Amino acid sequence: MDFKLTEEQELIKKNMREFCEKYVDPIAAEIDENSRHPAEVFQKLAEGDWMGIPIPAQYGGSGADYLTHICAVEELARSCASTGFTVSIHVGIASMLILLFGNEEQKKTFLVPLAKGEKLGAFVLTEPGAGTDVMAATTTAVLDGDHYVINGTKTFTSNGPTGDTYLVFAWTDKAAGRKGMSAFIVPRGTPGMTAGNHFAKMGLRSSQTSEMLFKDCRVPKANLLGKEGNGLAMAMTGFDHGRTGIAAQAVGIIQAALEESVRYAKERVQFGQPIARHQAIAWMIADMATDLNAARFLTYHAAWLKDQGQPFSKEASMAKLFASEKAMHHTIKAVQIQGGYGYCKGAKVERLMRDAKITEIYEGTSEAQRMVISGNVLR
Amino acid sequence: MPHIVVCFKWVIDETYLRRAPGGGLDFSSVDYKLSDYDRNAIEEAVRIRTALGGTVTGITVGPPEAAKGVKDALSRGMDAGVFIADPAFVDLDPSQTVSLIAQAVRNHVGPFDLIICGEGSGDLYAQQVGPRLAEALGIDCVAFATQISLEGGTLTAQRRLEGVIEVVTAPLPALVTVLPEINTPRIPGVKDTLMAGKKPVRTLAKGDLGATGGPRLQTLAVRAAAMERACEKFGVEEAEVIRFVDALKKRGVLA
Repeated sequence: MDFKLTEEQELIKKNMREFCEKYVDPIAAEIDENSRHPAEVFQKLAEGDWMGIPIPAQYGGSGADYLTHICAVEELARSCASTGFTVSIHVGIASMLILLFGNEEQKKTFLVPLAKGEKLGAFVLTEPGAGTDVMAATTTAVLDGDHYVINGTKTFTSNGPTGDTYLVFAWTDKAAGRKGMSAFIVPRGTPGMTAGNHFAKMGLRSSQTSEMLFKDCRVPKANLLGKEGNGLAMAMTGFDHGRTGIAAQAVGIIQAALEESVRYAKERVQFGQPIARHQAIAWMIADMATDLNAARFLTYHAAWLKDQGQPFSKEASMAKLFASEKAMHHTIKAVQIQGGYGYCKGAKVERLMRDAKITEIYEGTSEAQRMVISGNVLR
Repeated sequence: MPHIVVCFKWVIDETYLRRAPGGGLDFSSVDYKLSDYDRNAIEEAVRIRTALGGTVTGITVGPPEAAKGVKDALSRGMDAGVFIADPAFVDLDPSQTVSLIAQAVRNHVGPFDLIICGEGSGDLYAQQVGPRLAEALGIDCVAFATQISLEGGTLTAQRRLEGVIEVVTAPLPALVTVLPEINTPRIPGVKDTLMAGKKPVRTLAKGDLGATGGPRLQTLAVRAAAMERACEKFGVEEAEVIRFVDALKKRGVLA
């Protein structure tokens, strides 16, 4: 058993930390306040090959493993959960699905610019009436000559307003049930596809989220990803990868909450001594550090399984469930430690607390994770 | 096209240092990093190579664990490394480090045009290795440069001195130590780090080099600095001045 990252993984993680200190920390509060997508940071991420870490070099990526990508997401989220998430969904779902299921032509056309960070990917599955219940989706794709014609309304699409390459899920044969959904690669600017309402969110504010509207959107047959009817299975594979990324995002949030708590608890004096010396505070910090370790190991283990070519669905769900719930719990504690100061704008813990909540919701709620895990355990 | 040699050191990352209960330093959970000053040295060498062509060779002395430092250094753009490694090569005196590097440069690096060092190391900051190495190799040394250029076999360097900027030239081969303001070191990209492990590294063992001589420094203890604040007011009368001097003696400021 080996609990150590490789030299490369360690160095890359450290370099990402340095990157964040230089480019992300200084703007994290501002992009949260203004709900701004920091295009300048994504330009720098692309220059440093951070936008396609686990994608093979032949497809424009860095050719490292998935765990290295996970380490990068963790460090990004430690500075800005939104930026970490945008990279996670771009790499973990959009790029990985094209890598795993795309044909050579699709990889050349769509994956290479994604992996190089020239284009931003988006995953378009959720609908107003179909969240956890994916089968309730109503968007359809009807074959018409050389094109599929997509009609429907999607919602809560991350990178919706800012994306370039959209993976869109729609029924090609609703009657076939779980084998009736297909996935399509739809480039930005395709007539009939528009970003609808932008959502003003409680947290994760610099990540851009919108509706995606499809009205007679004609997509070439060549843009069908994988086989017709395989959409749902591919989406689930995407979730395995994406959820590991959300777990990493939550780990980064807990790490930041711990650092903020330790710093404040050592500085803040009440009753004649730093509050870190009060057992009530010290124990909160002990629990935070313990859960951080546990969450990190669960997350790294899921990524490691992926790199070993082993199934990691259950482990990805466990990591996501545990890390996200602990992130919520401990960011509340981190605000509690900082009291009134922590409740005010400008305190990092206030942002962390708002950002943490979404990790329990998207890419499968905690309840959905428990369904996956119990389904695996009780099988 | 110039062959530039850069000296670098893998040092304790001071952010991990903790104060031990007895007043000393706790090294139990420290991590290591490439000395900050050496990042500027490497960056400058790579900048010159980008402009003029040539090659950049990094050289370091340390225990085998510093192999990660070699990889880190190579990820910053250098072409090849020379790693003088032995478990005994920890806490070397500057004189010993210089002896090892000088032998390696003479016998294993081949002809070079310029050696670049950081102004000092991130741990000891003795600022000795650069100038001593120049002396050992019998080449000119320009210390504390804020800007350098190579042209027609000559090094031109700006040196920041107290209150003035001095511009000097030296015939190549020469050695220069650089100040942090000379450039902004890059943050290696993912591919840079992955490629670093594939670059040639020549590892030299203790037996490949001659004797270095014994240490000339003796470390008696390492203590964490403790900051004390005290406020006492004194007058200007003779008795008060005497009381002031006594107070300084009492606090150990004056012997």
